[in-house]
This record gives sequence, C-alpha cells and structure tokens, in this order.
Amino acid sequence: MDQQILNAIFIGSIYALFAVGYTLVFGILDILNLAHSAVFMLGAALTYSLVVNHGQPFWIAALLGIAASALMGLVIEHVCLRPLRRRHAPPIAALISTIGLALVIVAAVEQGKSGSLFSWLWVDGANSVAFPAGTVPNPTWHIGDLTLEASKVLIIPISIALMLILGYVMRFTQVGRGLRAVAENPRAARLMGLDVDRMISLTLVISSALGGLAGILFGLALGDISPYIGRDNVEVRGLAVIVLGGMGSIPGAVIGGYLLGLIEILALVTFGSNARGGVAFAALFLMLVLRPQGLFGTRLRERI
Amino acid sequence: MNHMRVATWLVAAFLVAACGSSGGGGGGTNSYSGKTIKLGAVLSITGAGGVYGPQSRDGAMLAVKQINASGGVNGAKIELTVEDDASDKAQSAQKAQTLIQSNQVMAVLGPTLSNSAVAVHPLAESLKTPILAVSTTGIHIVPDCKFPETAACKFVFRDSLGEQTAIPDNIKAYSDDAHPKTGVLLVAQDDKFSSDGGKIVQQTVATHNIQLLQTIPFSKNDADLAPYVTQAVRLKPDVIFITSLGGIPAKIMSAARNQGWQGQFLGGNGFNTATVSKQAGAAGKGARSASAWYIGNDFASNKDFVDAYKKEYGKDPDQFAAQGFTGVQILADAAKRANLTFSDLAGDREKLRGAMESVNIQTPLGPFQFTSDHDVKQTVWIIQMDGQGGFTLVKKIDAS
Repeated sequence: MDQQILNAIFIGSIYALFAVGYTLVFGILDILNLAHSAVFMLGAALTYSLVVNHGQPFWIAALLGIAASALMGLVIEHVCLRPLRRRHAPPIAALISTIGLALVIVAAVEQGKSGSLFSWLWVDGANSVAFPAGTVPNPTWHIGDLTLEASKVLIIPISIALMLILGYVMRFTQVGRGLRAVAENPRAARLMGLDVDRMISLTLVISSALGGLAGILFGLALGDISPYIGRDNVEVRGLAVIVLGGMGSIPGAVIGGYLLGLIEILALVTFGSNARGGVAFAALFLMLVLRPQGLFGTRLRERI
Repeated sequence: MNHMRVATWLVAAFLVAACGSSGGGGGGTNSYSGKTIKLGAVLSITGAGGVYGPQSRDGAMLAVKQINASGGVNGAKIELTVEDDASDKAQSAQKAQTLIQSNQVMAVLGPTLSNSAVAVHPLAESLKTPILAVSTTGIHIVPDCKFPETAACKFVFRDSLGEQTAIPDNIKAYSDDAHPKTGVLLVAQDDKFSSDGGKIVQQTVATHNIQLLQTIPFSKNDADLAPYVTQAVRLKPDVIFITSLGGIPAKIMSAARNQGWQGQFLGGNGFNTATVSKQAGAAGKGARSASAWYIGNDFASNKDFVDAYKKEYGKDPDQFAAQGFTGVQILADAAKRANLTFSDLAGDREKLRGAMESVNIQTPLGPFQFTSDHDVKQTVWIIQMDGQGGFTLVKKIDAS
C-alpha cells in the first residue's frame, strides 16, 4: 500500500463524518443545512479554547465541544428552520437562513480576541492555531515506507464506529423509525401521533454533534484550527460527497467521503497538485449529469 | 541697580533663546513643539500574516515610545495608529483608506503581506500619501507598485529586503557549501509573496546546477498538506524549497521529517520569525533562509534596539520587529528635515516624501539609505533555525 492511499483514507474519513451529518438533515428535511460547516469549525474552535485557554484536559474539552455543537443544532432548528417551516416558506428560504447563521458564527469567532465579547470562545482572531504537542499522545509508527500517525489513524475507527451506530439507530430503533417516518411524509407522521418538531430537533442535534466531532478530529489530525476551516476545507467538498453518494443516503455519504478522498489524491498524483482543488467540482458536475440520484440515492421524484 | 542687573540678564537670556530657535530654523529644523505627527500602520495582526505583523507593530511602537521620550521630532510627538487587516487584501485596502482619509495620517507603514500591498500601495500612491513597506518582499513592490504599469510610484518605499535578492543569495550560499543536485519546490500559488518566491526559485536553481524535479503548487487555505509532502518526499530530493507564509512552512517541515526525509529545507522571508522557528521545532533544525537582520549583530544601533526590545517585551526581537522599528526611525528622520507646516496636509505629505528619499541614518538593519528605486540596499544574513525557536548565523553576504 502507498502512503498516498493512506493520506486519502485519513482525509476521506473526515469528509465522510462531516457529510453524514449534512446528508442526515437533507434526508429528513429536504433542506441543505449550510451552517453545518460553521458547526464543524465551532466544535474545533471551542475544544481548542477549552484546552489551551481554560486548561481543560482534551477529553473533557472534546465532549464539551461536541455538546456545544449539538446545542448549535437546536439553535439552527429554532432560529433558522422552525419559524420558516411554520410559515410554509420554500426550502430555499431555509437554505439562505442557514447561510446567514453560518456567516454570523464565523464572524463571531473571527472577532474573538482577548478583551472582546467572545474571548471566552476564541482569542486568536483570524489566526490559524494547532493543539499544543502532547495534547493527546501521538506516537508515529513507520511500517516499511509508510508513516502512520496515531492522531490520524484514530480517525478511521472513530468514524466507522459512529457511522455504524447511526446506521443501526436509523434502521432498528424506535427513534430511527420515527425519523424515517418524518422523512417519508411529515404530515402522515404527525397524524400517526409522532411529534415531528421533536424529531426534527433530534435530527439537527445528531447531525451537528457529528459535524462538531468531525471538526475536532480535523483540528487534531491536521493541526489547523481557524474560523475558516469549515468554509475552506469541507463546505463544498461535503456537498460534493453527498451528491456523489446520493442526497440523503447515509451509506452514500460514507462511501462518497472515502471516494472523494481517493479521487482527490488520484488527481494530485496523476495530473499534479493543481488538479486537487478542482476535482471535487468535477466529480459533483459529472455525477449530476450522469447519475443525478448519486451512487446510493433513490431516483429523484417530484412530490405531489 | 540690582533690579537693572536682573532685567539685563533676562533680556540677554531671551535674546539667546530667540537666536537659538531662529538659528535652528535657519538650519532646516523648524520647531514642531506642541504638534503631533500622525502616522498609521496597516499590519496583519491576525490571519496567515499573524506570525509576522505583531512583531512589526511592537518594533514600530518601541521606536515611537523612544522618540517621544527623547523629545519627539523637533518637539512634535508621534502618534501611531495600528490597524489589523486580518491578512485579507480587501480589508487591508479599506483600513489604509480610512487611515489616510479619515484619520488624516501623514504617512503609512505596511501592509504586512505583499498580497495586500498590490491593493494598498497603488491606493496610497493615488492619494499622494507616503507609504513605507516594512515586511513586503514580493516582486514589483517598488518602484513599479502598479505593475504591469511600469511608471515609478513616487510615494511608495520599502525597508524590507526583496526576495529577488534574498532567495538567490540563500540558494547560492547553500550550493557553495553542499553542492545539492536535486530539489523540489512547494509553493502556495494563491498568495503573491509565495508565488513570487516560487518563481525566483525556479529562475535561480539552474545557475547553481540544481535540477528542479518538480514544482508542487498548493493553496494557502489547504489544511491537509500531507499529500503534497508525500509527493515531494518520494522524489528523494536533496533540497525542498518552501515558499509560503504563516504556519505552513513549519507544518511542511514536520510532515516531511515525519515521513523520514533527511534533506535540506531552503526558504524565504516566510521563515524569518521566531514564531515559525518555534512551530517547526526540531523538524526545522538547519532550515536556511536569507534575512535582512541578525540578532547577534553588535553594532550600537542594533545592540541598543535588541536591549530595549527585550526590556520592553520580555522576549527577543526578530527581523520583522527590526524592520518595523526602522520604519518609524525613517519617517521620524524625514519628518525632522521636511519643514512640515501642520496646516497643509497634502503639502506636508509631499515634503515628507521628498525628505524620505534622502534618509541616511543608523538603524538595527545597519546604515540605511534608499536606492533611487526607493528600495533597500543592505547586507544579507544567511541564518538557520536552531531547532528550539531561534536562529544561528551561517554567513554574511555584503550588498553587491
């Protein structure tokens, strides 16, 4: 095996974890939650602050970071989505309101400097920072020509385990059945006695917790935490991943994440590093032209 | 009788004082006492340039403090307003415009990054306000700030060492020492400073018989640098050239060492701060760059600066601090000789600009004068990271 394939799997895991949260909301609400990349960043930024500025151990900081991200899911629901749903606004309105919230979150973190209103959250302004060495033990193994860093290797089992748990919950539990019922037909679900608003809140909580966790793992493995990591690294790629995998499909997002990681590296090795950035767009475009429903998506149908 | 004597002494004293001041005026140094010389600085305190900007600010502030404490500029106090552009070109231009038009500063220092200078310098030129670059090292900063227009910009100066001098000096020094055969270039292509540096590396390597195996461009926003480093390392080059800024060089060094590569890192001005050396840690040991300044220089104007900086901030200065300090020294010296009126801002800016052209002072960078292109001509210091957040001197190259 090649170092580049390993690189692809590492970054692919992060894409997958990010995209699972993205696709979950789309699958159930038919809405693209574009604040997801801001939650990704917020999870990483808050965890970093708790470790570096508030002296917390990493594990506690990470749990709090995930909890805060989950809470952010509730904010997205109550601020961006529910009021619009009440007014039967078209999905595009919800999409735009999530973009707005994302801008607010990024700007708030960007303004975080010592002495400012947000200094409890972030003090590094527009800077890019990294967890101090030794935050988590990070031994490096060399096997043949391969270099394996613990912080990156760790991402793979965490991502896969979480995605399996999510898959299990969706398919085999009462909550999962409820969520799928809402996805299928919210009105029918309500008539069957399901609390649809609660189900939607739950969806956003799970999705945002996963997004925040993806951000924390990203920050840990790549040593880059700034207000812009969501926007610059996963926002558009996450979109490409869920289009590749099929909008709303969880297994699709997982496979799509790894696939995009591999395609990017393949493009870099074959066509040079310039090709890496564009390949997400190319994949997105090709998939939309050739197979609009994605790898695992069901054929798109207009609902009547 | 006694009263008469006192009165005579008073008159004599008054006359001496009057002569003194008019004599001074005749020599070109008006008294500015009670006046304020307003200066502005647009620096990258946060963002990618946040590893350089704060030191530029601290150096400049130290100079302001020293000058004001020793009586100011012909009696006038300097007031320096520092704005953070967050390393963003659009913000940089907007902050500069505010300083020039709303704050009505006489001159501006900055911006930190060459990428922002392409927006800020032409703006200052069009608003006829002197601007002194204290850290920008890209191509076409002076005199042709409006490149591709070739007309010389009258109001743009710089006291920082251009990469067109620094990078070739650094490559020559290393190839004289170690005769490397092959190299790979890692360049952040979407940043002017970095891509200019990359071009200079490409133009220089052939003259030293170094074969550039591959140029690997990447984006400054890319967090995942491992695939690029893997590409570079698998070619087993003798040298990896890095032209990029912020924390990126340090991350590349760590990743390359992690992947077992043992060769030499050569870079540019992006390496020249303790922040980057610290971030790279042991992985950066031996990484070489050409610097405009070296902490160990013991001529008085540098030694005094280093001592004062350490006393003020409790840490060592770096090249950016020295260039920021020098920037204020230059403006203060020019202001002293410019016969400012403090009533006609446009006229004062023009006078200051004229006086800047003939600056000749001792600075932490050494004796300082501008070339006819408003650029700096100075000794170059080849330095290497010591693996612990500092630098050691490799060799000195005199200005050609």
